[in-house]
Amino acid sequence: MIEWPHWMAIVVLAPLSGAVLTPIVSLRDRRIAPWFALATMTVTSVAALFLIMRVAQEGPFSYPLGAWTPPYGIELRFDEFSAAISVVCLVGSLAILCSVRYTEWLRELAKPRIPYYYALMLLNLGGMIGFMITGDLFNLFVFLEILSLSGYALVAVSGERTAEMAAFKYLLMGAISSLLVLFSVGIIFGITGSLNMVDVTTRLASVAADATMPAVLALGALTIGFMVKAAIFPVHVWLPDAHAIAPSPISAVLSGLVVKVGIIGMLRVYQIYYGSGILDLTVLNQVLLWLGAISIVMGAFFAIFQDDIKLMLAYSTISNIGYIVMGLGLSTNLSVIGGAVHVFNHALIKATLFLAAGAFIYRTGYRTLTDLRGIGRAMPLTSIALSIGAVSIVGIPPTAGFLCKWYIALGAFEADQPMFGFALIFGALFIFIYYIRMVNAFYFQEPIHKEVLRVEEAPLTMLGPILLLAALCLIMGILGRIPLTFIEPAALRMLAPLGG
Amino acid sequence: MLEALWHNIDYVASVVLFCIGLYILIAKNNLIKKFLGLNIMETAVFAFIVTIGVIEGGDAPIMGHGAQAPFHSPIPHALVLTGIVVAVSTTALALSLIIRIYRQCGTIEADELREME
Repeated sequence: MIEWPHWMAIVVLAPLSGAVLTPIVSLRDRRIAPWFALATMTVTSVAALFLIMRVAQEGPFSYPLGAWTPPYGIELRFDEFSAAISVVCLVGSLAILCSVRYTEWLRELAKPRIPYYYALMLLNLGGMIGFMITGDLFNLFVFLEILSLSGYALVAVSGERTAEMAAFKYLLMGAISSLLVLFSVGIIFGITGSLNMVDVTTRLASVAADATMPAVLALGALTIGFMVKAAIFPVHVWLPDAHAIAPSPISAVLSGLVVKVGIIGMLRVYQIYYGSGILDLTVLNQVLLWLGAISIVMGAFFAIFQDDIKLMLAYSTISNIGYIVMGLGLSTNLSVIGGAVHVFNHALIKATLFLAAGAFIYRTGYRTLTDLRGIGRAMPLTSIALSIGAVSIVGIPPTAGFLCKWYIALGAFEADQPMFGFALIFGALFIFIYYIRMVNAFYFQEPIHKEVLRVEEAPLTMLGPILLLAALCLIMGILGRIPLTFIEPAALRMLAPLGG
Repeated sequence: MLEALWHNIDYVASVVLFCIGLYILIAKNNLIKKFLGLNIMETAVFAFIVTIGVIEGGDAPIMGHGAQAPFHSPIPHALVLTGIVVAVSTTALALSLIIRIYRQCGTIEADELREME
C-alpha cells in the first residue's frame, strides 16, 4: 500500500482536479461545495500520509510523470523537506471547514460565487503541494504561479474596499518575483542545458569556470524572487495588508502556508548550489542572516503598535519568517533543522491564531483589540486556543514554538555568531510584549462594547478546527523530537558538501 | 568589453527591455500603465529564454523531409509557451482587479488611491 508509486501523482492531481470539479458538482446545490472540497483534501491527506511514511522508511524517492524517465521527463521528487505537505493538507482542510460558516457570513461574497472560493482554495493548496514535491525547475515555476495567482484572487475575495488594492499590490510584487524565478530558470537552463534539479546539480559542478557569473546572477534572482514570496524585510511590504484584509480562513492559509513556499524554494536553491559546489555561499548566508535578524526585530516591533488583531498577526508572520531565514543563513546543522521544523510548527501556530481571530470577528464583527476587550469571558474556548497559540509563538516551553527557536539559537552560538542568538531572544521578548497585550485585552480589561460579553461561543465547524490546532501546538511541543529527527537526514545531506 | 556586448546583443536587448518595463512599473501612476510595464518585463524574459535555444545556422526542430541538424533547441520554446499562458492569466486577473478598484473608488491613479486609504 505504502509502496504504491502513484500516490505521488495523486497528491498533486487530487486537489487540482478537485478545484475544477467543485463548481460543477455544486451547480445544483452550492452547500455541497465545502464538503466536496473537504473530501478532496481527505484523499490528498491519505496520499500525503503514505508518502511521508515511505520517505521515513527509505529516504528520498522519485516518480517519473508519465513514465518518462528523468532527466528528460518531468520528475516528482519527495524528500524530507517535502513532508511539509502534511501541514498543507492539515491546515488546508481545517481552513476549508472553518470557511463553511465564514463564507456564508461574508456580506461582500455573493452566494452563487461561494463554490469558486473553494475552487481557488483547492488550486492554491494543490499548487503548494506540487511546488514542494517537484523535482523540475520549470515545474517549480509553474506551481509557483498556480499558487500565487489563486492567492492574489483569494485576497480580493473579501470585497472590503481596500482588499482589491492590497491584492493588486500583492500581485505586482508577486508577479515581479515570479518573473525573477523564471529568468533564473532560463539562465540555469542556458548554462547547464537541463531543468531537472538533480541533473542541474551534477552539471553545474562541471560547467566551465566562465559560467560562474551567470550562476551568481541566477542565484541572486532566485533568492530575491523567493524572498518576496517569503516576505523578508526589504520586500515584505505587500504582506501586512494582504494577510490582514483577506477572510480569516484565507489568512490562515496565506500566513501559515503560502509564505513558506518561499522558504521551501530557498531550500531547493541551497540544495542545488551546495550540491554543485560551484559557488561559495558565505556572502549570501551573511545577507540572509542580517535580513532575517532585521525581519525578526522589525516585524515584532511593528506588531506591538497594531490595534487590529489580524494586522498584528500579519506582522508577527514577518518576524517568524525572519527566524526561519536566519536558521538557513546560519547554515549549521542545528539551525537548518530548527528552521525547517519551524516551517511546520509556525504553520500550525499561525493557523490557530488566525482562525481564532476569525471566530471573534465572525461572532462580534469587531477586529481591533480595543473593541474586542472582554471577549475572553464570552468565548472562553476560542480564547484559550488563542492563548495557547500566543504562548507557542513566543516560544515558551513546552509548546511547539520552543524547540525550533531553541535549535536556531543553539545554531547561532555554534556558528560563533552569538549576536544573532541575542537578536533572536530580543525578538521573542517583543513578541512576548504584544501577546501579553492581547491576552490582557481579552481577559482583564473592561469591555467597551457591552454586547461583546453576550456573544455565543464559535460554531462547531470553527471551534473544532481551532481546538484541534491548539492541541497540536501543545502536542508538537511535547513530541517535538519527532519532526526534528525526521528532518535531520535532509539537513545533513544538504550541508554535507560544506564538510560540517 | 564592447565586443562582448555586441556579441551578446540579444541578451543586452532583453536586459534593456526589462529595465524599461521596471521603470514604467515604478514611475507611472496609472495602474494600467504599471501593469503594461510588467507585461514588457515579461516579454523581455520570454525573449531572453527564446534566444538561449538559438544556435547559429540552426534549423527549425521539425522532423520531415530535408530536416538537417543542427536544430534550435525546442525546449525554451515550450517553456515560453507555458510562460505566456501564465502571463495571460496574470494579466486577466490584474485587469479584473483594476476594474473592481475603479468601480469602488472611481479612480485608478495610484496617488489618489493612496489618499483615499
